Amino acid sequence: MRIRAERDDLVDVLSRAGRAVGARAALPILQGLLIEVSGKTMRVTGTDLDVTVRTELEVEVLSGGTTVAPARLATEAVRKLPPGAVTFQAEAGEIEISGGGPVFRFREFSAADYPKLSEPVLKAAVAVDGAAFADAIGQVSVAASTDDARPVLTGVFFEAEGGKLRMVSTDSYRLAVRDVPAVEASLSGLVPVRALKELTRTVSAGKLRVAVGDREAAFASDRGVLTARLIEGSFPNYRSLIPASYPNRLRIARQALLEAIDRASLVAEDHIPIRITLQKGGIELSVTRQDVGGETEHVEAEYSGEEMTIAFNSKYLNDGVSAIDEDTIVLDVLDPLKPGVLRGGEGDDFLYLLMPVRL
Amino acid sequence: MRLLVARCSVDYTGRLAAHLPMAIRLIMVKADGCVAIHADGGAYKPLNWMNAPNHLEESPGRWVVTNPKGESLVITLEDVIEDRSIELGPDPGLEKDGVERTLQHLLADRAAVIEPGLEILEREYATDLGPVDLLCRDIGGQVVAVEIKRRGEIDGVEQLTRYLERLNRDTTLAPVRGILAAMTVTPQARTLAAARGIGWVEVDYDLLRGLEGRAPRLFEV
Repeated sequence: MRIRAERDDLVDVLSRAGRAVGARAALPILQGLLIEVSGKTMRVTGTDLDVTVRTELEVEVLSGGTTVAPARLATEAVRKLPPGAVTFQAEAGEIEISGGGPVFRFREFSAADYPKLSEPVLKAAVAVDGAAFADAIGQVSVAASTDDARPVLTGVFFEAEGGKLRMVSTDSYRLAVRDVPAVEASLSGLVPVRALKELTRTVSAGKLRVAVGDREAAFASDRGVLTARLIEGSFPNYRSLIPASYPNRLRIARQALLEAIDRASLVAEDHIPIRITLQKGGIELSVTRQDVGGETEHVEAEYSGEEMTIAFNSKYLNDGVSAIDEDTIVLDVLDPLKPGVLRGGEGDDFLYLLMPVRL
Repeated sequence: MRLLVARCSVDYTGRLAAHLPMAIRLIMVKADGCVAIHADGGAYKPLNWMNAPNHLEESPGRWVVTNPKGESLVITLEDVIEDRSIELGPDPGLEKDGVERTLQHLLADRAAVIEPGLEILEREYATDLGPVDLLCRDIGGQVVAVEIKRRGEIDGVEQLTRYLERLNRDTTLAPVRGILAAMTVTPQARTLAAARGIGWVEVDYDLLRGLEGRAPRLFEV
């Protein structure tokens, strides 16, 4: 196998596929990138068996073939070469990377040892706007759990909802729901949030096709394909958690609320709740930390409903408010012990359900 | 896992030179490439070993294991008694003592208790020496490896030192610093940690459990 390509293009396809190659590789071969060259195309695959990223580049093919190169070394070697054309070749168990003078040689992995990966199934894919999809992932991923002991909560649940693609995540303390316009959405599955976070760094583009099969989800664009093994298990019945109506509603400026939470968080730390007294004309936001002190402030807002004091974990509250990309935030509450719902003042495509902390 | 029982001698050259005279020994070649030579006694560590990444070249009667640091292990095989390979499959990992495991769960949910602003990136982050309990990012964006122990002793600092050495080889993570988090940290461990630039923190298990009790969930997990 022997190809020639521009350094920066080569770094791009190698490093994006390499995002799926983690330090968590269970087998030495998984520390490698599978490189297949045929026609005018170089196809690069990286995987940790849970997440697979495939990228492609049109190159000058001097001879076709297949090799497995050490992912990090090969990528960094290409990156460190002078700008310009780079020659990448594999022969007799050795990979040679050269350009502008320097020559790197690395031991080649055996391509026969590379796992046989199934081709991504994109037949039933729905088309979504790549930028909107990336925003949606950013909004819902904050509520996903990082606790591997509860794998079902480390995923984002995909399902079709009224012709839209719905994404839901929860770590049991909060829940985020986001609807994305999609063409002919009819899919369902639990996609690891880790894979979704990689999407923007690997294959996300202006137009994205999304398919969720029985075992795998696939995300394809003209930059490549990311596939992720679905998480097995039942996602919590999230619909039953969202109250149908709320008698108390706060409308408040997002930026003013974020700044107030930020000031309170200076004292609150992670485990001290922020108390919010909801009253006509605005909120009294306060935090008290024993042996340290506290902070109190008034933030003007519109409130209709019964006066009450409710408390939230400062980080979870901040995550929810930050995730809403609107000038005005709406907080709907039933009482101080039941979940409150944050959403944008105008849009109804995102909601963030947050469990209050007992005072 | 390849298990070879053979009468062999072993010569190591690298940081020092070591020779194991001809005797019957167990040679283990693990799936990740690690090679270990064991005697018929002791459960602490092999007589000699070479961690991955390395390269094993087999020729009749002679194995040569080399690594990128220039170390080599030459195994001269006089008589191979048994040679078999067994697929062990994925390793579910070490089951930890209940308190330590719970402590890890609690701290994973509240990394800021370890250090203000600390955010968790991954639990049980795999390195080729074993999983780091928590891989986090601090308020300044630096990656932080956290090793959690019920009682923080010198062994815990040593273990974290080894992890940090591996993690700092990864250019996508480096520079990585370390924090030993435990219910109590011994004075010796504090001294060693400070000498190696490793942070340490004592965490209140009962308080953390209490906090969990105060944080209601939307549903039972």
